[in-house]
Amino acid sequence: MIRQIKLLTKTQLCNFMDLNVFRFTKDKKKKRSALSMGLLWLLLITMLCLYVGTFAYGYSKMGLGQVIPMYLIMISALLILVFGIFKAGSVIFQRNFYEILCALPVSQTAVVISRFFSMYLGNVILSVAVMVPGMAVYAYFNHPGISFYAVGTVGTLFIPLLPMAVATLLGALVTGIASRMKHKSLVTTVLSILLIVGIMMFSQMLAGVGETFTEEMFADLLETLTTMIARIYPPALWLGNAMTEGNVLQGGLYFGVSIAVFVVMVILIAGHFKSICENLYSTSAKHDYRMTEMKRNTVLTALFRKEVKRYFASSIYTVNTIVGPIMMVILAAAILLTGVDKIESVIPLQNGIIGLMPFVLAATSCIMTTTSTSISLEGKEWWILQSLPVDAKTVFDSKILLNLAIVAPFYVIAEVLIILALTPSFVELVWLIFLPIIYMLFTFVFGITVNLHMPVLHWENEVAVVKQSASAMVGGLGGCLIIILCAVPVVFVTGIVGEIVKAVTAIVILAITVLLYKTNAKTALSHIE
Amino acid sequence: MLTIQNLTKHYKGSNKGVTNLTLEIKPGDIYGFIGHNGAGKTTTIKCIAGIHGFEEGEILVDGLSVKTDTLACKQRIAYIPDNPDLYEYMTGIQYLNFIADIFGVPAAEREERVQEYADAFEITASLGDLISSYSHGMKQKLAIISALVHKPKLLILDEPFVGLDPKASVILKDIMHQICADGGAIFFSTHVLDVAEKLCNKVAIIKDGRLVTCGDMEQVVAKGATLESIFMEVVRDDKAD
Repeated sequence: MIRQIKLLTKTQLCNFMDLNVFRFTKDKKKKRSALSMGLLWLLLITMLCLYVGTFAYGYSKMGLGQVIPMYLIMISALLILVFGIFKAGSVIFQRNFYEILCALPVSQTAVVISRFFSMYLGNVILSVAVMVPGMAVYAYFNHPGISFYAVGTVGTLFIPLLPMAVATLLGALVTGIASRMKHKSLVTTVLSILLIVGIMMFSQMLAGVGETFTEEMFADLLETLTTMIARIYPPALWLGNAMTEGNVLQGGLYFGVSIAVFVVMVILIAGHFKSICENLYSTSAKHDYRMTEMKRNTVLTALFRKEVKRYFASSIYTVNTIVGPIMMVILAAAILLTGVDKIESVIPLQNGIIGLMPFVLAATSCIMTTTSTSISLEGKEWWILQSLPVDAKTVFDSKILLNLAIVAPFYVIAEVLIILALTPSFVELVWLIFLPIIYMLFTFVFGITVNLHMPVLHWENEVAVVKQSASAMVGGLGGCLIIILCAVPVVFVTGIVGEIVKAVTAIVILAITVLLYKTNAKTALSHIE
Repeated sequence: MLTIQNLTKHYKGSNKGVTNLTLEIKPGDIYGFIGHNGAGKTTTIKCIAGIHGFEEGEILVDGLSVKTDTLACKQRIAYIPDNPDLYEYMTGIQYLNFIADIFGVPAAEREERVQEYADAFEITASLGDLISSYSHGMKQKLAIISALVHKPKLLILDEPFVGLDPKASVILKDIMHQICADGGAIFFSTHVLDVAEKLCNKVAIIKDGRLVTCGDMEQVVAKGATLESIFMEVVRDDKAD
């Protein structure tokens, strides 16, 4: 069994972060692409380390050093949980190799554990990147004993286990329910979104975010934060106390619960592995079609309809890109319900919340654009568009239209809620409506540009494109980051100068959008390989 | 109909590809393209179909350059790859409608052609099902129908008989003859030498990316010989080199 797990995990991981491609490809372009992907990950990890280090330093200076380890454990676990639900189902039950593995003398438990460990590797890098700088800063200020380092090191390796096991169970539950339905992808999408929004709201509720902070609570921030962490994720408190106070009982509780939940997860999933896979990959064919009237569409309509079908056929693609627009509506609703005055009393801004709102709407709706992965997702079917008499411009237009069609309904709802909440003047209304549109258009076109330069057409699992590709990161998050950068002057510059800065920035962004759009349209589809 | 002049295409970081290939396919030709695995058949076919760019040479379809008049050339061509990876999230009829829309085929014509070919290949009843539920052979049949739906002048096929049942193979051969009788042309790669010998009026043999021989089948395959024996001679020469 151990040998099987080792072999299967090795096979799963042989191309982790394109390592195998980098080692064996003779194509310099592919080698460069794999290398730049590695460098991009390294840059992201370094940035995360720096961010965590600065955060831990600030907490230590405020006399909140005690809370650093447990706070970081909680953050890592929540991130792993939420992102795990996104991809657990598609990784654990991934189709590739399923039929090959079924024919081989390997146990289902070994298959489940090996697939779990292939996800674990990525997550443990995250927990190390979060914990190591935090622990270093804590150690610098507090000079803890050897047990801190020992428990911290082992504990860091254990951090992903519990949230991943829970995410895998939830992901498997979603996949298992969906596998029995006719519209598997749609059911998976809806259940995943409900689960993620539910977790977010539940954790906010547990944290008591809605509660009014009293002066006493601010006075004893350490106690308040500890209580909050204990409410949201008690295991973080157990491991944190085991590290900082040498609490053996709580340490034992943490490791015991992690291992127990992991074992339960493996037993449950291994028991249902084959039946879920069979339901998931079996396709119903009615075999009763009769020719009916066929209608003619324009080329753009045909391509757009194809994009819509592609979008809803992949739950991971849908969930990943629709969470942003949903967040935009939730945010707008929250502002309307809470009231502007109350928010501005907590977050005082020179230009008020109304100045920042167009950027917030645009940034949340574009957290992950569909355009930044839509070319990559063509995958092995890319030859169809390459060989058809259709130009690049029309192909990219259809992809941009899809992104517009997804965001538009959410944008309209969010705008109505925000206008009701903020009651803007005419000029403010114009900014509120048109600035998000300009920035959204920019991110959609920017997504295509990035995907054209970083396409991943040879993939085994959609997760590799939607969640792990350089294009998803640069195209999705990069556009969002540019919007945030454009918003910075708005916060600090007031009056007519502020309005001019806002207008000039919008014009520049619009000009860049047109330039990128025209450059993209000139691309030869045959050059994208 | 199709002119390939000094085509050179090499993959980055690899010696594989095609070097200085010249071929002429005329209306009415059924042109077989044979060679060992990795000889450059698919590369050549992908260059014609506009899937791959190429460094040197020229490919002309009806006198139009694939490089400069790409869309006009593609409008005249139908291409079927060796592995029919189609949009699995579409039903068969949705896929055919999509292809017909791209080629601007009028509704009545597409209906008539889809009916005719789907009935011939016996997949009409499955057209309402998702392509993901299709077998390899059914996908191949759907790819063939989609290639025929816009009545192409030039059919470019990569291993078209792989996965087809015997009846479908016969139907495809009949369709190929019909296209040529109507003034079209067919250029296809195959490893099935018997089929190539019986079906094609012209043949080209490629080895390591270079054209070894081409011309009328009767000229290439001398009396008393077979295409298989000629091909094996080529392979033996390769080993002797």
